[in-house]
Amino acid sequence: MIARRVRYEITARALGPALVAMERWRSRLRRRGRGAGRAEGPFGPPLESTRKLKELTALHYLAGRFADGAVPVAWVTSGFPVEMLRPLGFHTVYPENHGAICSVKRMVPELSDAAEREGYSRDLCGYARADLGSVATGKTPVGRLPRPDLLCCCTNICQTVLYWYRALAAHFRVPLVVIDTPFVYGEAQPHLLAYVADQLRELTEIAERVAGRKVDRAALVETMRLAREGTRLWDECLRAGRARPSPWTGFDSFFHLAPIVAMRGTRECNAYYRMLRDELNDRVARGVGGIADERVRLLWDNLPIWFNLRDLSTVLARNGFNIVCATYTNAWAEAGSMIDPADPEGSSARAYLHVLLNRDLPHKISIMKRLCREHGATGAIFHSDRSCKPYSIGQIDLMGRLASETGVKGLLLEADHADPRAWSEAQAYNRLHAFMELFA
Amino acid sequence: MMRTAAIYAERKLGHKTVAVLPVHYPREIFTAMDVHTVELWGPPGPPRGPDAGRIQAYACAVVRNALAFLASGGADAADAILFPHTCDSIQGLATLAPDFGGWGKPALRYLHPKGGDGPAARTFVRAELVHLADRLAELTGRPLALPRLAEAIRLHARIDRLRGEILSRRAFLGMDDRELYRLLRRGEFLAPGDHLAELAAAARGLGGERAQRGVPLMVTGYVPEPATILDSLASAGAFVAADDYAAVGRRVPLSPPADGGDPLDTLAAKAFTMPPCPTRGGDQDVRMEYLETLYRRSESAGLIVHIQKFCEPELFDVPAIRRRFARIGAPLLYLEGEMEASLSGQVVTRLEAFVEMVDAGRKAP
Ligand code: SF4
Ligand code: SF4
Repeated sequence: MIARRVRYEITARALGPALVAMERWRSRLRRRGRGAGRAEGPFGPPLESTRKLKELTALHYLAGRFADGAVPVAWVTSGFPVEMLRPLGFHTVYPENHGAICSVKRMVPELSDAAEREGYSRDLCGYARADLGSVATGKTPVGRLPRPDLLCCCTNICQTVLYWYRALAAHFRVPLVVIDTPFVYGEAQPHLLAYVADQLRELTEIAERVAGRKVDRAALVETMRLAREGTRLWDECLRAGRARPSPWTGFDSFFHLAPIVAMRGTRECNAYYRMLRDELNDRVARGVGGIADERVRLLWDNLPIWFNLRDLSTVLARNGFNIVCATYTNAWAEAGSMIDPADPEGSSARAYLHVLLNRDLPHKISIMKRLCREHGATGAIFHSDRSCKPYSIGQIDLMGRLASETGVKGLLLEADHADPRAWSEAQAYNRLHAFMELFA
Repeated sequence: MMRTAAIYAERKLGHKTVAVLPVHYPREIFTAMDVHTVELWGPPGPPRGPDAGRIQAYACAVVRNALAFLASGGADAADAILFPHTCDSIQGLATLAPDFGGWGKPALRYLHPKGGDGPAARTFVRAELVHLADRLAELTGRPLALPRLAEAIRLHARIDRLRGEILSRRAFLGMDDRELYRLLRRGEFLAPGDHLAELAAAARGLGGERAQRGVPLMVTGYVPEPATILDSLASAGAFVAADDYAAVGRRVPLSPPADGGDPLDTLAAKAFTMPPCPTRGGDQDVRMEYLETLYRRSESAGLIVHIQKFCEPELFDVPAIRRRFARIGAPLLYLEGEMEASLSGQVVTRLEAFVEMVDAGRKAP
């Protein structure tokens, strides 16, 4: 245990940062050769912060390789109130984030095949299939995922995670904590808030048992403060997208979302977003855009199509279209403001109940209208995501309403957020080109 | 049609009707408040009208058909609708139809917990029951009376006991599966008293001698639709010896409610005495244990897993079911449906082949 702990700490604090510094030096050399900071193709100059993002991600996954047996490990859903675990020293793994990486690396078909061989249906969420396939085969693009001591699932993004984590619990034979956040129609009633707050107290007891120590309330309060601040900083980054031209693209923001999802409540997360915000604001001041020639501004709804981001963004950028706002990235800027360090359980209950995916369609359309208005978006791409039902049901009506009530033109683009096998390239691009012609 | 007739009969008595989406809900509260419930499982067959197209084709047919049915006025005889908190798709429908069109009358929701059976969940169920009763009081103009609730709990406990007895002693009942399921599923729309009378009459036919001689099979899945699956099983020489359909067996509590005490507490406690159902969460191993016990107790010779396509709660448990039943050497047939009006010829052939194979296995020395 002690040897493992030492190895974990050395990796996280010394070896990892040293490797990262070396990689930074090498990439600087490479970029010097290519001409750093120069615009590429139809895009504006790349964001400097992206390098830091890659380092953060690499460090996290590198430390994770040595986490099991050294520190308590929790596998956590993206909407889970992770602040409750931080003071107990958990190393957290986000299978959804891992799924996105698998998709970008085009590993999902192989992992999904493995899950399908186990009996999982191809109709299930692509993240779940990637994760279950990775668990079955041990294959992952990040080297190795640490075995969980605790599984933590919150139903505020979907119920899929509940079924998925039940299967993980049966596989790993470790405790599963479910924070059940009943769907909110309008505003959450008092008994819903009390229910979630009570579950958070129950979570603390279980997490303490697994971690073998008690929560330090002062550390919890500080984590909550950091989480709220991190959310605000992320919101400031997104607000930069209101400028014309937008200093980045929605596709950039999908990647830069990772820290607020996976590192919420940490100093590193906030330091990162300060850097990103400053860079974005500097670009705004200098009139530097995410794409070279921004003509039409769009909203994106639903998850990204991770495996196709580069191609899709290039086609859009070449035609002067920029995604300037997205319901998906905005979701992480919304609810966190409700967190109150003085009342960790009560305020987390409110914040985690009121996330976008846990709220009704009138709320969703109001968010879309606001985003379009504030960002000057005149079109919207609705990614109809085959394997994410909660995000997709209602999109057809949302698209119609957005058009009839605000004049924002919409395109329904069918794909899967993770699995390229559900993607019909020719058909999708035909539809996309027809959509772009509407703005001619 | 039968459902509509039941609604009109109840209306004559001055009772309101609530259409109910699958799966779990506290029917006792409705009975106590003289509110008639009619369940809406689909309905099966092609969707009525174009509104099914408002939900993508990769969502299950249950919600797509339900939206089309509601939007075409199919449930207009009802005074309100209840959406239990079953899955992401019903949750989506529960805002799509009332908020964006398809259902213009009051919409109620019943949020049952998914997070286990700790004190938080137990307190929440009770609070949610009170909340639901308050919404029903708005509909009926009368508050919930606790003595009436206690009475309704007793009435439904009798119904549950008979349903449980019929299902667990199914091999001793001289009805074929089609008749049996017609009887059990009439509970989805009949007044509880009428359903109780029918069940009691059927239970009298439970003899001491085995009445079913076919190949005994267990079925797990969502809903026995299309009902022709039962005819196909019968003509292949099999019968359903054990039922784990969400619509049927999973709604029969494993133990009777406590006698006396606060009826709201009693009803809240009932939520934790139900057989495992993935739509309610819970430990997967506990469910596998339950299924194996059911299988062995019923002396079934094979298992049919009958799932609605795109149904995530059911689909995620399929690998565990396969593993568990492979381990005990039980033959398994996997069927996926989309609320069709009848089984395809291909599925019928697979069913027949499966029954034949199971039968041959049983007879082998
Ligand atoms: S992609 Fe959709 S279904 Fe999958 S975990 Fe996320 S919210 Fe749930
Ligand atoms: S069939 Fe499954 S996915 Fe469809 S409504 Fe029922 S529980 Fe939900």
